[in-house]
Amino acid sequence: MMTIPALKEKARWVRQQILEMALHAKSGHVTSSFSCTEILVALYHGGVLRVDPKNPDWPERDIFLMSKGQSGIGLYPILADLGFFPLDDLNNFAGKGSHISVHIGKDIPGSEIVSGSLGHGLGIACGWALADRMDFTNRLIVTLLGDAECYEGSVWEAAMFAGHHRLNNMVAIIDRNEMGVLDFTECSLKLNPLDEKFRAFGWDVKTIDGHSFEAIFSALHDVRSRRTEKPLMIIANTVKGKGVSFMENVRFWHYRVPEGDLIEAARKELAQG
Amino acid sequence: MAKLTFKRGARDSFFEALFTIAKNDRQVVIVSADCGAPSLDQFRTHLSNQYVSVGIAEQNMVAVAAGMALAGKIPYVYAIAPFATLRCYEMIKVDVCAMHLPITVLGVGAGLSYDIMGPTHHTTEDISIMRALPDMTIYTPSDSTMAAALADLTYKARRPQYVRFDREVFLSIYTETGDFTAGLAHLREGKNTCIVATGIMVHSALRVADMLKKSGIEMGVIDLYRAAPINQDLLAKTVAKYNTIITLEEHFLVGGIGDAVRSTMADAGVTKRLVHLGLPHKYLFEYGGRRNIHELTGLDDESLAKKMAKIAKEKVK
Repeated sequence: MMTIPALKEKARWVRQQILEMALHAKSGHVTSSFSCTEILVALYHGGVLRVDPKNPDWPERDIFLMSKGQSGIGLYPILADLGFFPLDDLNNFAGKGSHISVHIGKDIPGSEIVSGSLGHGLGIACGWALADRMDFTNRLIVTLLGDAECYEGSVWEAAMFAGHHRLNNMVAIIDRNEMGVLDFTECSLKLNPLDEKFRAFGWDVKTIDGHSFEAIFSALHDVRSRRTEKPLMIIANTVKGKGVSFMENVRFWHYRVPEGDLIEAARKELAQG
Repeated sequence: MAKLTFKRGARDSFFEALFTIAKNDRQVVIVSADCGAPSLDQFRTHLSNQYVSVGIAEQNMVAVAAGMALAGKIPYVYAIAPFATLRCYEMIKVDVCAMHLPITVLGVGAGLSYDIMGPTHHTTEDISIMRALPDMTIYTPSDSTMAAALADLTYKARRPQYVRFDREVFLSIYTETGDFTAGLAHLREGKNTCIVATGIMVHSALRVADMLKKSGIEMGVIDLYRAAPINQDLLAKTVAKYNTIITLEEHFLVGGIGDAVRSTMADAGVTKRLVHLGLPHKYLFEYGGRRNIHELTGLDDESLAKKMAKIAKEKVK
């Protein structure tokens, strides 16, 4: 098990990879991947998920569904680092012949679904969790959603379903960076009170600091032995663009990659951690 | 209290056959968007662990089915046809076709079969949009025997599929030994002109062919029960003897079976005179029943017979 300082270092390395991949492809959702870096590192390097990089289809593995498929660029370095596919593949991100791109495509070892269109993952998780219950399969089904993804009505169809069926083998995490594409969520269309909404839909809800490994582990420490029948929702408060000061909480950066002097400025900040 | 009875249509034959399959394979599940059928009740009572209701939530219906398929299940999703296709189209694209999952979409209410319920419940563009999806197989059963056989066919195929059921109880066309893997059936031999129809219009075609026979015109009739993928070789071979092909559908002409037949024949290098008959390209807020809409749109038997007799008598250049 990695220590918290080691996990923080891993998160810093992941952000560096995200930046370099995006610079190489001149494309990629850098800021919305920076906001969920600690969550992904905690799940994979922190040992929350039971997976086997040498056997990605291991039948007893936990299932992780990246519903916010635009953050694939944040997942690939982690999967490669764990050995699901070669680290060299990151150098050809979205390039000719690459199997990894801006949104999550098919046949990526360690990735379960095609993802990029929002509002799909939670419903798929519901089906998977229900099927597992039917078959007495004991594992976690974990989904990561963007907060602005929650504007999709299908998220609420799925939320209602999970609550009704008491799918307590499901964990959903919302990357609550409070920003959509163009604006802050509470300015464009209020999402709050997000916690109360999910509680009303039958979920056990925890709100945490999504950049704190301690908080993430604390929220997930009993995830396999929870005494409630409710599915677990973790609202992870995060900062869009976390790690590069001039990108943090600035609306301009949803789908932009640094140019000119800003490239070195971003590299410098990430190198310092 | 009087016992309630119901007419058993193609959908019911399908569900009865699927029930037998599901009893033997517990991986078969039905995911319904609060859409029922008396023949579905046995799933709810005897195979309740293989029946899931998502409420009237078609997007979630498809997503839940995708999750179940990824977990190893063989899901059939079921809703009224426009909602099972158009309402959740993007879910079918991404969660079913892009991931090539073994999910069969069951839509009830093909064409105008929800007659007086209006255009919200009519399904007159589903073939067009479902044909556009790579990987999708589309069936329109034209009788109950075929529908029952499709339960087995779809179960074994394990791929994205769509079955569009009419609500009417049709007369029987096929015998129980029928094989429906070919995708089309040459039901009646004709001389120069052949009708290619699907679903309810196969029955219209057969009746019209009977009517025209009395005036000495022998029309061929092909049941194109699989609109995608079309069996190109068999279609080319079957239409070879005719000089005029009339496609007939209770569907918009844009992207319907007429378009499908035209492009398939072009790909096969078969050149024939083609005439497409179907619904006008507009939403019909016309009531009084399906037959009334047929009369208003020229799809009733008499109008069709008149049109087809004229077409058959025209000289082909």
